[in-house]
Amino acid sequence: MQRIFWLAWRDLTLELRGRTGLLSAVFFLAVMLLILAMAFGPAPQDLRKAAPGAFWVALAFAGSLLAGRAFGLEVEDGTLDDLLLTPGGREWIYFGKLLFQLALLVLVGLALLGLTAGLFYLPLQQAGWLLAALLLGALGYAAISTFYAGMLARLRGREVLLPLLLFPLVVPVVLAAVRFTQGLAEGLPVAELLDWLRLLLVFDAIYVTVCAMLFPLILEG
Amino acid sequence: MQLTRSNPKGRLDSLTWAILGLGVLGAVVGFFMAMSSPPDQNQGFVARIFHMHVPTAWMAYMASFGALFYSVAYLVRRQAHFDRVAAAAVEVGLIFMALALLTGMLWARPTWGVYWDWEPRLTTTAILFAIYVGYMVVRGAIEDPELRAKAAAGVAILGAINVPISYMSVKWWRSLHQTQSIDLTTGKIMVDSAILIPMLVNLAAFTLLYIGMVRLRGIIAAREAAQEEA
Repeated sequence: MQRIFWLAWRDLTLELRGRTGLLSAVFFLAVMLLILAMAFGPAPQDLRKAAPGAFWVALAFAGSLLAGRAFGLEVEDGTLDDLLLTPGGREWIYFGKLLFQLALLVLVGLALLGLTAGLFYLPLQQAGWLLAALLLGALGYAAISTFYAGMLARLRGREVLLPLLLFPLVVPVVLAAVRFTQGLAEGLPVAELLDWLRLLLVFDAIYVTVCAMLFPLILEG
Repeated sequence: MQLTRSNPKGRLDSLTWAILGLGVLGAVVGFFMAMSSPPDQNQGFVARIFHMHVPTAWMAYMASFGALFYSVAYLVRRQAHFDRVAAAAVEVGLIFMALALLTGMLWARPTWGVYWDWEPRLTTTAILFAIYVGYMVVRGAIEDPELRAKAAAGVAILGAINVPISYMSVKWWRSLHQTQSIDLTTGKIMVDSAILIPMLVNLAAFTLLYIGMVRLRGIIAAREAAQEEA
């Protein structure tokens, strides 16, 4: 258990020390949101309608952009083999990287949430539920992106392949999260929307379990 | 469907020929039976496209199960021929999936008035199609055979699990915000024996064709692998 947290902590420290990767991703997504707002705008009601979609698509992009970060440094520095050589099972590598990826996505997601609230007039009154959706949605994205990133770690064309593999699989996450966020924005009672959160929860549970089971079988070496 | 280990060199065996031949024969017979089946009460002659659509859609989902089964088998047993059969199942399945989507669209235009509708079955099939295109791209991108097999198995397994989840999510997604209502129940054909029998003949023929093509593709893949080794 402990090494899961240490692995995630180490990656997070490295990432925050490096800064460039995370910052450029956030800026890219900010520009993307700006352009989307211009495309949908400027009427506030149109923007408010497009807000959940823009936010979750931006987060999906963040997921595929940052997926390479989880294993990129390991391959560059040749430390992936050291990780693989550690005794015991290999599931913990997946969980550690998943935790790292989740932390990154939640960080980026919070920034994007602020931007969407500003540019798209997304109401933030029910911040608690929004955070819950962000956490579950980010976990869904991270579960799959971490798995594929590990699988394709040493491949040259992985930047193109990752989104191609990632996006069709996360369709249920996008649908559920967008509908939930939209419902919140329209002021529907949360009890009516809980089914969407349950769908996210089921998706997360299934994919985290399956990916953790398959990961040791698929990781090379 | 399975390439036995007694056939490692990829000999084109008589069983494959027999299955393919029966499949082709059945498809021809099925085509004539479909063309002579009576027109549907509501849809008229347009409904005949179902004789093509239903078997291809059925094959598309068979391919998904086949790919899942052989991918799991590969990861557990690590024998190259499981990977080859999984790849063949996806490759041939992709063609049938494209046919199913295409025939579905051709049917939808005169019946619903649109080529595309965000109907759960349609959307799920489109998502699955995208996943299997990704599967083929991944196979093309990786040169090391063992890594390729492992990565492809991962994609196939995650993709097959996705089918029920995306089906449910699309169903709910539509039900909450229904903008246009196209009653799908009118799309059901009346199951009359005059329509059912040609349908079953077509189903059987396409199943045979599918199995035969997967076997053939597997044999070609085995020959390619043997050549690479040599």
